[in-house]
Amino acid sequence: MNLSVLLAVLVSFAGIAAFPACAADTVPVEDIVARASRAAFYAGSDGIADVRMTITDARGRQRQREMRILRKDVEEGGEQKFFVYFTRPADVARTVFMVWKHSGRDDDRWLYLPAMDLVRRISATDKRSQFVGSHFVYEDISGRALEADSHELVSAEGDTYLVKNIPLEKKGVEFAWYHVWIDKATFMPVKAEYHDAAGTLLRRITVQERRDVQGHPTVIRSQAEDLRQGGSTLLEFQDVRYDVGLEDDIFEERYLRRPPVQWVK
Amino acid sequence: MGKVGILGVFCLALLLWAGSAGAGTTLNGFAESAAGARWQGVDTKRDDLVLLESRLQLKAVHYVDGENFWAQKQTMLNFKGDFFADGYFAGKTGFALREANAAFSPVPFADIKAGRQVLTWGTGDLLFINDLFPKDYISFFSGRDDEYLKQPSDAIKTSFFQEWFNTDVVLMRPRANLTPEGDRLSFYDSFSRQISGRAVDRHLVEPPDQLSNLEYALRAYRTLGSNEAALYFFRGFDRNPSSYKNELNRQLYYRRLDAYGASMRGPFLAGIANLEAGWHLSREDDRGDNRLVENSALKAMAGYDRDLGNDFRAGVQYLYEQRLDYTAYSAALLPGDLCFDQRRHLLTQRLTKQFRRQTVTASLFNFWSPSDRDGYLRPALSWQASDRWSLVTGLNIPWGDDLYTEFGQMQRNRSVYFRSRYSF
Repeated sequence: MNLSVLLAVLVSFAGIAAFPACAADTVPVEDIVARASRAAFYAGSDGIADVRMTITDARGRQRQREMRILRKDVEEGGEQKFFVYFTRPADVARTVFMVWKHSGRDDDRWLYLPAMDLVRRISATDKRSQFVGSHFVYEDISGRALEADSHELVSAEGDTYLVKNIPLEKKGVEFAWYHVWIDKATFMPVKAEYHDAAGTLLRRITVQERRDVQGHPTVIRSQAEDLRQGGSTLLEFQDVRYDVGLEDDIFEERYLRRPPVQWVK
Repeated sequence: MGKVGILGVFCLALLLWAGSAGAGTTLNGFAESAAGARWQGVDTKRDDLVLLESRLQLKAVHYVDGENFWAQKQTMLNFKGDFFADGYFAGKTGFALREANAAFSPVPFADIKAGRQVLTWGTGDLLFINDLFPKDYISFFSGRDDEYLKQPSDAIKTSFFQEWFNTDVVLMRPRANLTPEGDRLSFYDSFSRQISGRAVDRHLVEPPDQLSNLEYALRAYRTLGSNEAALYFFRGFDRNPSSYKNELNRQLYYRRLDAYGASMRGPFLAGIANLEAGWHLSREDDRGDNRLVENSALKAMAGYDRDLGNDFRAGVQYLYEQRLDYTAYSAALLPGDLCFDQRRHLLTQRLTKQFRRQTVTASLFNFWSPSDRDGYLRPALSWQASDRWSLVTGLNIPWGDDLYTEFGQMQRNRSVYFRSRYSF
């Protein structure tokens, strides 16, 4: 099972604006994307949320994934740890996916399969793979490295910055370039569109609902659409809480095998 | 249904009652039908089938709520059991209790899990050196879900968590592997010197169920950066009936076994690599000169697993096994005894490719031993039709030049199986 993508989606869009609104439209583009990255991925020093993912295929058939996600920042803007505890559907209930997100090297990922009491290590090189079969990919959730793309400010009209991003390394990336719309007030990314070399729109991620949680702008609902083959995934967050005081040791093998009762019940 | 069945139903009722008394209980399960047809049988109960069964698995998890002592100790109750109707054995019905345990933290730096539980550790993929917990190879070779390769243990597992390393201490009742017995799967019978089924005339003598026969399994482990290192110790009994209690009476038994081992796992060349080694000490034949008792052995393996993109993964493993005190072993053999090799090399490959948003999975697991000249091919295709329905079909193709090797003896159990499951 490929759970990696889910994590990424959760984190990137559940984020909080770490920076105050910036009045000038003269902000350098590198600052904009850096602020957007931090705004989207580092709300509070930790966070907890119930996430429901509804995957609709091109023929309209639906599947659902439900999970409790715990996140803790090791350093603001840097390393993070994630604990994803699946509750639905029944065949994956109590499965745990855990990630230590690093900067500058591959993440560490673990998968715990309760039926066999098996802790499995998963390689984390393919960041563009589907997260639990959804239309989100791993990088949507954990964030794409800023150094992976060149950035160009296309426009600063209205409430958003429009940034064009071109990958420096084309290998292993399914798109040629992508646009991201970033809210000027919060630096929260609100829309992303991925194009191929011919300019055809491949995939779109849209934030449909945001809410202020404990002073942090927070994504409550977002959607990823496959515009080539059809199908989409809706991601909904409930009971989002920040700064709940997650202990460091939750992100260890101990709690893979025995879920942290106080946080998952 | 027997005592275990009644116990299981009782546990389930208790959990349901606890669940109705408050939130904190979840109940899941599945209903599954499975059938497996064989190419060619050898005197097994059915020469056309390996599998024909329905099962209902119920699992319940209860978190103890409130202000009481057990809630403060973060107590969790787990139950899992299978009701089954086995068409292979003329519709025999029964209940198999897989889990019935309580897990709690008596002090912040320790966990206890007591009761029937499935236990796994070690780094191999379907290869086990230091994981000496009981397996069910009948399920494995007949086409049941991988979950059933693991048998549960009746155990108390205590885990200590410290700054420098963590320790698991398991105390458990001995439980033998379920190995081919002739009724469902044929195998090489060392008495009749041929692949045999129901005609097998041998007796497996299990260790008596007494306090002095309790087994110990220890693991000390820690992470070193992104790598995981572990040391293992086991004192108990061989899981397989590999030694002779009384040759004339055709009695096989489970010799006493100690095992010392170590493992390492971590990221390597954009994938995950693992190394594991173990020394299996045959306590009743530590010089290796008793022809009736299996010798000590050295085992080591290396594996590498990688995500190749587009939902395609590949893994390879190499296992080396060496029978120790080989000179003493060969000197002790009598004329006519089977003489096993000193060294065994085993390679495995796993390929997994997913399609259609990971709802269709094609996988191939292959065992191949160049030294034993045998192997076992396990292709499978599964389809997650919805969140509730899944279908799986696959092949079991063991083969070998000789009849007495690990996979060669299974060559008359080639089968194609089909399973459909409804999860709730």
